Amino acid sequence: MSWLRELVEVPVGPAGAGAGGPTDIADLADALTMRGFEVGAVEPWPTADGDPPDAVLDLEITTNRPDCLSVFGIAREVGAIYAAELRPPEVEPTVASAADTPISITITDPALCPRYVGALADVTVGPSPRWLAARLEAADVRPINNIVDVTNYVMLELGHPMHAFDYATLAGPEIRVRRAVAGERIRTLDGIERTLQPDMLTIADAERPQAVAGVMGGADSEVGDTTRTVLLEAAYFNPISVRRTNKRLALSTDASFRFERGADVSAPIAAIARARHLLAVIGAGRPRGAVVDCFPGPPDPIVVRLRHQRIGHLLGQTVDPAFVAPTLTRLGFAPRLETEGESPTWQVTVPSFRVDVHREEDLIEEVARHHGYERLPTTFPALTRPAQAAGGWRARDQTVRRLLTGCGFSEAITYGFVEREAALAMHVEASDLVALSNPLSEKGAVLRPSLLPGLVDSLIHNRRRERQDIRLFELGSRFRQGAGETPSLAVALTGAAIAQHWTGPERTADLFDLTGALTRLAEGFGAQVAFEAGTMRALVPGRTARIQLTCGAHTTAVGWVGQLDPTLASRRGLPGSRDVYVAELDLRPLTLDAFGRLRAAPVPRHPSVVRDLSLEIDDALPAAQVRGTIWAAAGPTLVSVREVDRYQGSGVPAGSVSLSVRLTFRAADRTLTDAEVQTATDEVVSALEQAYRAKLR
Amino acid sequence: MTAPTAIDTIRVAFQADLGAVVTAQDLQSVRDRYLGRKQGAVAALMKSMAGAAPADRPALGKAANVLKREIDAALTQRGDTLDDTARPVGSVDVTLPGRALPFGRRHPLTLIREQVESIFETMGFEILQGPQVEDDYHNFEALNMPPDHPARDMQDTFYLEQPMPGGGEGATPPATLLRTHTSGMQIRYMESHEPPVRIISPGLVYRRDTPDLTHSPMFMQVEGLLVGEGITMADLKGTLVSFLQAFFDAGTRVMFRPSFFPYTEPSAEVFISCVFCEGTGCAVCKQTGWLEILGCGMVHPAVFEAVGYDPERYTGWAFGLGIDRVALLKYRVEDIRLFYDNDLRLLEQFPH
Repeated sequence: MSWLRELVEVPVGPAGAGAGGPTDIADLADALTMRGFEVGAVEPWPTADGDPPDAVLDLEITTNRPDCLSVFGIAREVGAIYAAELRPPEVEPTVASAADTPISITITDPALCPRYVGALADVTVGPSPRWLAARLEAADVRPINNIVDVTNYVMLELGHPMHAFDYATLAGPEIRVRRAVAGERIRTLDGIERTLQPDMLTIADAERPQAVAGVMGGADSEVGDTTRTVLLEAAYFNPISVRRTNKRLALSTDASFRFERGADVSAPIAAIARARHLLAVIGAGRPRGAVVDCFPGPPDPIVVRLRHQRIGHLLGQTVDPAFVAPTLTRLGFAPRLETEGESPTWQVTVPSFRVDVHREEDLIEEVARHHGYERLPTTFPALTRPAQAAGGWRARDQTVRRLLTGCGFSEAITYGFVEREAALAMHVEASDLVALSNPLSEKGAVLRPSLLPGLVDSLIHNRRRERQDIRLFELGSRFRQGAGETPSLAVALTGAAIAQHWTGPERTADLFDLTGALTRLAEGFGAQVAFEAGTMRALVPGRTARIQLTCGAHTTAVGWVGQLDPTLASRRGLPGSRDVYVAELDLRPLTLDAFGRLRAAPVPRHPSVVRDLSLEIDDALPAAQVRGTIWAAAGPTLVSVREVDRYQGSGVPAGSVSLSVRLTFRAADRTLTDAEVQTATDEVVSALEQAYRAKLR
Repeated sequence: MTAPTAIDTIRVAFQADLGAVVTAQDLQSVRDRYLGRKQGAVAALMKSMAGAAPADRPALGKAANVLKREIDAALTQRGDTLDDTARPVGSVDVTLPGRALPFGRRHPLTLIREQVESIFETMGFEILQGPQVEDDYHNFEALNMPPDHPARDMQDTFYLEQPMPGGGEGATPPATLLRTHTSGMQIRYMESHEPPVRIISPGLVYRRDTPDLTHSPMFMQVEGLLVGEGITMADLKGTLVSFLQAFFDAGTRVMFRPSFFPYTEPSAEVFISCVFCEGTGCAVCKQTGWLEILGCGMVHPAVFEAVGYDPERYTGWAFGLGIDRVALLKYRVEDIRLFYDNDLRLLEQFPH
């Protein structure tokens, strides 16, 4: 706070409040927070008796405001908040003596370094005075020696990073700002030997790199106790270049943090002048020679047109024109009135430290911040056209959730990435896997090609926590190199289908609980589902089926259902030996279109007739096939076929099964006669005899 | 036998039968025996009166009706004094548990997402869903985040080892990353639709954050976008205040504060009065009384230029809300990772 008070005239306290200032430090912190500089903490800082209370404000600066990574930058905001005068820090008087230029500077790549300012100072290295070291400590910067401390002090105060070289260690008075030669090496101040690449910028003497530009200095030219003369550097480096270099070297410093966000190309002269002044003030050194400024192509300042009308247009509230220009001026902009009137326009020159301001909206944000978001009204935007319904995916997903929760399945959400091994164990070829180049760990190395690995892990998670009966499903994307990202549904089931109850024992779930749920799901969409025996990786042979979905006119193989391979399940950590059944299907063919075309059929007006048949039949014959034969033979009055019993054992020859089916007949236009039903039943029996040598029992 | 005698006989017999009643069933059988419509003694008596002399009939009928009322009253009275503790035949212990019917739950994040969706639906927003694997252009560049933009650090990204087919509609470049927000869908929508635009896009997004209590490398987000002529920041405030008060409660206080996002200008962070302490200060809100809930702002003109909208003519706003964060606050769950464990002991606490 005391540092801030040095740079801006803000009377804090009751007196200040009377003059439109903050009532206390917390009040000031709130004001900064409400302008976009979140004050995370206010720590009291010890002061001498009689001095006003002091504190350290811990501010969070968004990445677009590198100019506020400094006390002066914050002072400027405070000045705008309280209409208070800024007090720029004292600097060394400019001595323009072109004759006395002890060093020469060449920039070989002005795109990467548009400006480099250097100056010498003769110094006596030692510890910094207490007040200076204390301010660095308050900012979490470790004091090193008076020279380095001054460069850091200037960086914290003005926001511009500096560097000091031990001039004697340089190979002559020549500074070359150039790209590194491939394989060139430098030992940086942290003692690490680093290999440089040609896209990295260096500060070199006549012989070799002495610093990685904008990132860190070299250890060989480090300022130490024996240093007698320093070369002070203040430069502007290209943000992208600094960012790439520090990423490549994995080396982020206070300097690179500022350069990569954008330093102020106008600041170097002030920074050098401030540093030489401070060195003199603390008795650590005195300037030698002139400041050398290598600035081949100074950019033109940015000028942005600001229309008062546009401010209101964007904010929804008219802001007093008499507020706009003074606020911008206090923030360092130079607004020039272009057209006067109730709704004027300005040509606003943007200061070079405001690297975030390029267009009118950026200026409007400045006005809005200082006007106060809290003062904007709340209005509701009129609808200018009817709302559009969501795509079919939404009704589909909601219907799936409704049907499956109704069947007792709870919804899971699992991670989009899984272990490679778990992915390969389920359904997919290695070449179809989509790998991440920077996974957090091996547990999330590949995008899930199937929802099953994640869902099975969730089932196991529950199973390992005393839970016996588990029904889960997940709706989500799966990712395959060939098919891309597609919507999928997975279902998993273990434990009791019917829990133990005082009326009867538990019934353990089996495959038919899951195929039943899938049948219910299909019916919920007005679709039909059929299961065909098949084999699939991760599923137990003989207890695996391909799922055929008929939705509208299309029949598609949408996925698989079966018992999960117990060895795989136990490898994934499943305790115990109870069966786990799983299914996964492609959701794309599942649509509610059938209901869009729905026309209700008349409710039957005539009674139905039921006939039960008991057949002795080959036990390898799929029920679906028998059912198909029955449908084909019975004629149009058959309305349903249901398998009601299946029995093997005494009285039934080996290789055969006693199968009871219940046939229901009905006609829409008449009550069926016994004779009609008998004829249809006889047709069914004879067809089954012919096709499968089935015997009526 | 004369009719009055018959009436007396019935009366005597009834008194004897009534005296023998113990259970409700006994009572019912006595009622059937005497007052039954077809077989009952009173009904038989009435029938027998057809043979009586015409002159006697009115008196007889009157007497029979008196008997009927007598019997009925006596039966009703006896019924009132029957022993209530006697268990009717076929009774069951109704306090035994019923059979459990299957009952699954939707995931808490789905519940929150659907609540958010339905509030915005009432405000005329269309709900969109987009791909989770995205290309750099739709995730970053079109959103005013060119390569090497420091703001990309705010959204540390998972990259694919090899590009895979992009998930968007129409011609779309191969996907190279997992989306860090659902904004890519908004770009796709604007590329193929003219204003006005009023959409929300919910979905899973990915950021390369180390998991902890409040961070998950995958989480659910919903973003909103409104574009038209004359859309203002005041509209943004009004819509979001309405939404937050509908979602949390009508007394929720909302604060807008300047912030920075590359794709909005001006940008704001939105805070609500702490749902735990109601603004008085607690550990969750770090004694501030406020909880950060979403980010928003006026769409940056560079974003409009990227999709071919005229930024002079159209203005708009966008917001992004973390579903997980809202779920943590609303349900007071302490660890975001619990949402992805799918522990039924958690899931089964939520409504169907």
